[in-house]
Amino acid sequence: MSKNKGVDRRQFLKVMGAGSAVISAPMLVAGCTPKAGLTRTDTTPRGAHTTYFDGFGVDIGRIGRTLARGLSRGGDFSEVFLQHKVSHWLGLEDGEVNRAYTTVALGAGIRVLKGDATGYAYCEDLSEKALLAAATTAAAVADGTPKARPAPLAAVTVPNRYIVDVPWTEVGVDKKVPLVQRAEKYARARDKRIIKVTVFLSDETSRILVANSTGHLVEDHQPMAVLSVRCVGEHRGKTESGGQSVSAMDGIGFFTDAVLKKAATEAADHTTMLFGAGSPPAGTLPVVLAPGVTGILLHEAIGHGMEADFNRKGTSIYASRIGKRIAPKGVTILDDGTNVRLRGSINIDDEGTLAQKTTLVEDGILRSYMHDLISAKHYKLAGTGSGRRQSFRYPPVPRMRNTYMANGNQRPEEIIRSVKKGLYAEMFSNGQVFIGAGDFTFYLKHGRMIENGKLTHVVKDANLIGNGPKVLETVDLVGNDLEIYSGAGYCGKDGQRMPVGFGLPTIRCGAMSIGGRKS
Amino acid sequence: MSNKLLTIAKEVVRLAEKKGAQGARVSVYRSRQSRVEWRDGKLERLRESTRMGLGVTLIADGKYSSNSTSDLRPEAIDKFLTEALAVTKLLAADKHRKLADPERYKNPHTGDLKLYDTTGIAAVNAVERKRAARALEVAARGAPGADRIVSVSSRCSDSVGESALVCSNGLEATRRAAAFVVTAATYVKDAGHRKPVGWWYGVERQRAKLPSLASVGREATRRALMGVGSKPMPSGRYACVIENTTAARLLRWLLAPADGRLIQQKRSFLADKLGQQIASPLLSITDSPHVVEGLGSQTHDGEGMATRKMVILEGGVLKNHYLDTYYASKLGRTPTTRSSTNLVFSSGRNNLSQMLDAMSTGLFITGFSGGNSNPATGDFSIGIRGQWIERGKPVQAVSEMNLAGNHLTFWKRLQELGNDPFPYSSVCIPSLRFGKVQFSGK
Repeated sequence: MSKNKGVDRRQFLKVMGAGSAVISAPMLVAGCTPKAGLTRTDTTPRGAHTTYFDGFGVDIGRIGRTLARGLSRGGDFSEVFLQHKVSHWLGLEDGEVNRAYTTVALGAGIRVLKGDATGYAYCEDLSEKALLAAATTAAAVADGTPKARPAPLAAVTVPNRYIVDVPWTEVGVDKKVPLVQRAEKYARARDKRIIKVTVFLSDETSRILVANSTGHLVEDHQPMAVLSVRCVGEHRGKTESGGQSVSAMDGIGFFTDAVLKKAATEAADHTTMLFGAGSPPAGTLPVVLAPGVTGILLHEAIGHGMEADFNRKGTSIYASRIGKRIAPKGVTILDDGTNVRLRGSINIDDEGTLAQKTTLVEDGILRSYMHDLISAKHYKLAGTGSGRRQSFRYPPVPRMRNTYMANGNQRPEEIIRSVKKGLYAEMFSNGQVFIGAGDFTFYLKHGRMIENGKLTHVVKDANLIGNGPKVLETVDLVGNDLEIYSGAGYCGKDGQRMPVGFGLPTIRCGAMSIGGRKS
Repeated sequence: MSNKLLTIAKEVVRLAEKKGAQGARVSVYRSRQSRVEWRDGKLERLRESTRMGLGVTLIADGKYSSNSTSDLRPEAIDKFLTEALAVTKLLAADKHRKLADPERYKNPHTGDLKLYDTTGIAAVNAVERKRAARALEVAARGAPGADRIVSVSSRCSDSVGESALVCSNGLEATRRAAAFVVTAATYVKDAGHRKPVGWWYGVERQRAKLPSLASVGREATRRALMGVGSKPMPSGRYACVIENTTAARLLRWLLAPADGRLIQQKRSFLADKLGQQIASPLLSITDSPHVVEGLGSQTHDGEGMATRKMVILEGGVLKNHYLDTYYASKLGRTPTTRSSTNLVFSSGRNNLSQMLDAMSTGLFITGFSGGNSNPATGDFSIGIRGQWIERGKPVQAVSEMNLAGNHLTFWKRLQELGNDPFPYSSVCIPSLRFGKVQFSGK
């Protein structure tokens, strides 16, 4: 943007600071190409260290003084995390796009580390006074005299995995309304038994800057797009509801007609298929997981237990198991921040570490945890770029990004054919895990029974429960059809909600307890 | 501070009207939270935050939007409102969007709800929080069976919040509240690599009413040890007692479909159940917004309507839905209120131990895991853990089991409510004893 003559950068940022574009303003981006526009490259400090936050009056000098204040009581490390996030939500109900929500968040989180103890404070005012006050509060994690001064800041350039032509802050509601309306039209057209459709489109534009006392300084521009469609259907006196969402680290270009249609028709299908569905039998059955959203299994059963904070504290069921076999041969699990535009992708994590592709399990052997800076130091390892936070209001902790299992060599139909009686789990809505015991659950919205190797009737609404390590040990067939879920996945931990991705090829596991209503 | 917030809120309403809004509802808040987290003999995290922001609901030309910002610089607010109004005017009109009826703002509760403990706030500081967090750990490690302990985490936190709510059709209200929290979590060794966790906590509006730190720490360890050696029982239909600590999770699923939005959107199994028996005659629930020191107490709801006591269930019969102004208008009904405050239950005579005796054999559920509930049909399924009970006494720790049913039949199997309403939640639910219901296990 700074290369775009005719637009005063500071003035432009002030507009952004206040809110968002009302109607699309193409003149603001006319001079921007994907590489020279509001992209990672553009915001890289250069020359006089100009940063995005310069527009809010926060220059390198102010950041440096804040870092120094953080170390003023003997802390080992201090960090400034600046964020400006503009979020929009546009909703359709009963045929009309008649509601909109906008949220603007601007602030700074200041973190000071002393050993593995953390001092954290934030402010919602980027004045020097407010930043120094927050740094003073965070500095109190230590109780001595300063040992070191922060190193001079040197900006780092990172590759961009989510270039957008036009940032969401410049996309007006006039461009979004037709997308929402089209999605509704597709859902209603899919089946005449659909009687209600709600659609929402939400977008986010988050600009972050991470600077720390080692001299590291890096910025990122993180776009997010979500479209969600929910349908209600009526048939012979029965009412059912189903939905679908799509999400990516992308701009408005993500919402092609094909994407809208797919989300809308799947939402309708997920509703109407339930009319003939029943409850699965209560008890244990072998489970075949369909590809895609079933990756929640990895997230809950295995992923959280491999976040390094739980292992550093010795409270995970996977503590002290690096290098040990935890799954059969053929099972490889990755947590990956480097996929282009996927929902859990990042250029840098929220500690400024470059995103990585981390192999958690390789051919059945536990290879790595997911680390933030604290756990990486504890284990004397390089970080994995997994330190994430919901916003400047929270300290970072190890979190998943896109978690998935690598393809095996089985054909999916062969896996289904191999089961005499079992459950084919297709759509999950949520899950939970107890890290220490390893017991996890996930909630089946719908699936089908497998009888004599064939998919039969649809079943719905049952909780599945198992023990993560035990279930992982029973994964004996892995399909060649890896699918990454394209919907809006969230993960909650430590009071923080993060966007994540997950995926799975078709796999067969051993028996799990299925919470059906039929005895 | 509340007066300052009120001044800002009034100014934002004035500005919104000047810029063309026919209706505006503005809330301005400021909150502070301080928290010390302690783990295994040392400080883990120290967190302090002060937060301020405003939320604006706008109605312009029959159109609606809701907006919030944490950037309270006057020039930023001005620009924010201009843009929010312009966005609003690009939406479709909606005749049901209006501010609440000003008659409903009148006669709010005026007594002291004791939500703000001035003495307690003055007494607590960083040193005191650290002392308390350390004492919680010491207590957890001093409990019987402590040799199994792998790790103890504890936390001491307090928060204060102030807010002002102004509606352009005649409401000005302020609120001030504080809360004090202590928690402890203990992980213990079990067979293989299992490390079951137990936790306990206290939350109070008045600091002096917090449970003793020793009791919280000990209880966390006791509850962790209860999970040692757990296993699933065979699938079957069993009687059960659900502990007061965890019963609210199921109860919220029963009541969630009483929400006006789900009813209007035809996603509620309670839409046509007003006046009908949906639960055991033993179950009565009243939404009680004026409980002194109540965690859900408030004098005005989110729309500014003065809060009133409201019967939700009486003898198992559904008496009211939760209806805000918008969805009440869409349904052609009178608004009640948007969401629950404190839920107060009919009380039983027996304590938990007597209830387990009365059950004799079955499952004692002390925690839920995952699960979900379909608001359109009432079907639910959820993971459980707890104890297998024989002759009223725990004989085996249980995990990896599910409880499933349909709310419209499940709650009719309620046989007894305990005399132990849970003190640390706005859902003041006692322990519940049910007849035989469906469990899946091994």
